[in-house]
Amino acid sequence: MSGKILNLANGVEGLFIKNERFNTTLISCNLYLPLNKDTVAPYALLPFVLTSCSEKYPDFSRLNYKLNRLYGARLDASTEKYGDYQLLKMTISVINDRFCLDGESLINQATELLLGLIFEPRVENGAFFAEDINREKRKAIEHIKGEFSEKRIYAKNRLIEEMYKNERYGLHKCGTVEDVEKITGESLFKAWQTALSHAFVRFQVVGAALPPELFENISAKFSGITRADITLCKNSSPTAAADKPQEITELADVTQGKLVMGFSSEICGNDDVSLPLLVMCDIFGGGPYSRLFTNVREKMSLCYYCSASSVRQKGLLTVESGVETQNAKKAEEEILKQLDEVKKGNFTDFEFESSIKSICDSLKGYNDSLSTTDLWYAIKVNNDNLYSPTDIAEKVLKITREDVITAANGIELHTVYKLLPKEEKK
Amino acid sequence: MKKEFFESDIGESYVKAELSSGLKIFILEKPQYTTSYAIFGTKYGSIDTAFSANGGEKVSVPEGIAHFLEHKLFESEDGDAFSKYAKTGAYANAFTSFDKTCYLFSCADKFYENLDILLTFVQSPYFTEQTVQKEQGIIGQEIKMYEDSPAWRVMFNMLMAMYHNHPVRIDIAGTTDSISKIDAELLYKCYNTFYSPSNMFICIAGNIDADKVLKVIEEKIKPQEPLEITRFFEQEPETVVKPYTEQKLAVAQPMFCFGFKEKTEKPQRSVKEKICSALLLEIIASDSSPLYKQLTNDGLINDEFSSEYFSGNGYCATIFEGESKNPAAVAEAIKNEVKRLKAEGIDKKLFSAIRCGMYGNAIRLFDSVEGIAMQLVDCAMNGSGLFDELKYLKSVTKEDVERRLELLDCENTVLSVINPMEEI
Repeated sequence: MSGKILNLANGVEGLFIKNERFNTTLISCNLYLPLNKDTVAPYALLPFVLTSCSEKYPDFSRLNYKLNRLYGARLDASTEKYGDYQLLKMTISVINDRFCLDGESLINQATELLLGLIFEPRVENGAFFAEDINREKRKAIEHIKGEFSEKRIYAKNRLIEEMYKNERYGLHKCGTVEDVEKITGESLFKAWQTALSHAFVRFQVVGAALPPELFENISAKFSGITRADITLCKNSSPTAAADKPQEITELADVTQGKLVMGFSSEICGNDDVSLPLLVMCDIFGGGPYSRLFTNVREKMSLCYYCSASSVRQKGLLTVESGVETQNAKKAEEEILKQLDEVKKGNFTDFEFESSIKSICDSLKGYNDSLSTTDLWYAIKVNNDNLYSPTDIAEKVLKITREDVITAANGIELHTVYKLLPKEEKK
Repeated sequence: MKKEFFESDIGESYVKAELSSGLKIFILEKPQYTTSYAIFGTKYGSIDTAFSANGGEKVSVPEGIAHFLEHKLFESEDGDAFSKYAKTGAYANAFTSFDKTCYLFSCADKFYENLDILLTFVQSPYFTEQTVQKEQGIIGQEIKMYEDSPAWRVMFNMLMAMYHNHPVRIDIAGTTDSISKIDAELLYKCYNTFYSPSNMFICIAGNIDADKVLKVIEEKIKPQEPLEITRFFEQEPETVVKPYTEQKLAVAQPMFCFGFKEKTEKPQRSVKEKICSALLLEIIASDSSPLYKQLTNDGLINDEFSSEYFSGNGYCATIFEGESKNPAAVAEAIKNEVKRLKAEGIDKKLFSAIRCGMYGNAIRLFDSVEGIAMQLVDCAMNGSGLFDELKYLKSVTKEDVERRLELLDCENTVLSVINPMEEI
């Protein structure tokens, strides 16, 4: 299902993923930039400001009115960490022209709208308008502060912050509240210009047909921009093993505590090298057949959730659980014990095969979702080969028990973070 | 088996069948897709705490039992359903809401094996005192997790302030106290009533052959006489318990849930009522509405702001929720907007744009097998058709929505607020 990557300008790629099963077509613009303390906040704010208004649609009500007129075209903005890089994403999706009751071309209007937002923002004298900046700054600050309200997200973010102190990957994806506060109309204008000239860019289309002249129009937009020092989005720096695992305990007014554990993995990198970590992580704490689910939750009844996940391009493995204070130590010990079992190869063929089957079955379903397909290819820019989900499923089938054991033996505990109820800390 | 076939002008079609036991089956084929999504559900949720079967004695059960039963049904005498699914690679899960419990799986391969697992375990209850006790620990932790969730608390606090008697005011999982009263015998009693095929439905969408699936289901469903279930609800006054409720939790900024309590005369709302309500919510509060613009520019809402038409057997409310430094000001602005719309009428251009957007979204729904299967569950619950929304959206008028607007009573509302523990 994967298409061919076209070079639209220096460091600007176009990828059309033909998929005829949908009633909708999706177009995404992906900008990749290095994570840096000084630029993380303005870059993170950029997709939100750009998708809130433009020269043609000077306020968000008019923009959203237009989206409704385009049969509910959906415009999305996001900013995510992608290893040591920042991925800024702007997406529009629209139903196919054959459903339009009045014979207009929705797709042409939608692509024109998206390009207008990116290349013709609402600016004046080298600055974004204060009202637009201030509105989006306020929302970003509320978003950053608001993560404290959802303790599961908060605890995971605190672990990453502590694990990667003074490293790029330790930065919050939106920057800090102070970083956001410093953004001005001028500084954001500069960030917009820098992003367009230095970011690695990938435009992707998922749907039945490539909108006519879309890629040509993008090339033309970039012809007026000097493209230099393009972000090389290859490998992120691996997670270094800790000399001695660190333990951090914090208190909050909560009923249930959160236990999050971070591990370094020797296996680190793109799909060509890191698939054993994917399988190992799933056997350890993936589905209901995993060691953590069957032991920590089902046998010991210690928690409602206890699961592992990995960030393969960073060589990071994390375990998350919600536990009561009196059970936190017991759960932590059991998690480490289960990791040890996987290291020793003490997992059954049933557990191993269940993992492989579950991973492959879910990979095969990726093509059934527009947004999953888009994201799949957007986060594969560090691969030399453009693997489809089916290609990866085939590679996963070749992973052996020994590969899993080797991957497990490269896992070392780095940081334990606990968020516990205030009154129970003794 | 009774069978009906439905077609739409957007190229989708589905089959609806009913077995002699009363089980209803809905199937939509998606031959271009790789995956399939199947749901086996029962019209049994957290609000069904008092009932009788075939006119027998009225039974009252502890709160949270439908959810408890959902957890326990995964275990059978010969092992748990998850380990059976592990052999096929399917994703499996279940959920309990106010009025239903659903067991589901999604898979790319081995659909018929997975269907067999689903049909078998949902029809094979196995509860012992020992397994019930183990689950009390796990669900106890689940309840505690929700106690810390401000989004969950703000909603239930609102329902508690809105409803005097209706069990919709009680947490779906119950309380640590109520679940301690659950035992194997009670679980069997609820199972034998609500898991009767006449109270159940199967909804499937994906890369499957409907005729083959129907044949498998017909063979696997144990024959049973349809059962008449009566649900008992105490009389619910039209007024709210109190207009304001507040709780302090560890949050960064206040969160709110603001609802209009509405009268309910029938157990389920019609498609027409649901669509008019959805259109109305978009007109009042979507990101192209004047209210949204005003609240955003005043710094009172952010992207968390959303609205919902919340309805079921004996309850109905129009709800707005989000984060705000001043929830009372947001609630006041919503009331003022409702009053303004009642006085001035709905803007014709905005109505037409929003209707156009909703029509597109209704088409977009058919891009997801999960979305379709969930929509089929709605059809099973309220007797509507899958294409009713597309059909009705072409004919609904501004005046229909204005009539719907009249049902919002600004004197019968609840504002629920979660405030931070301390200044952060």
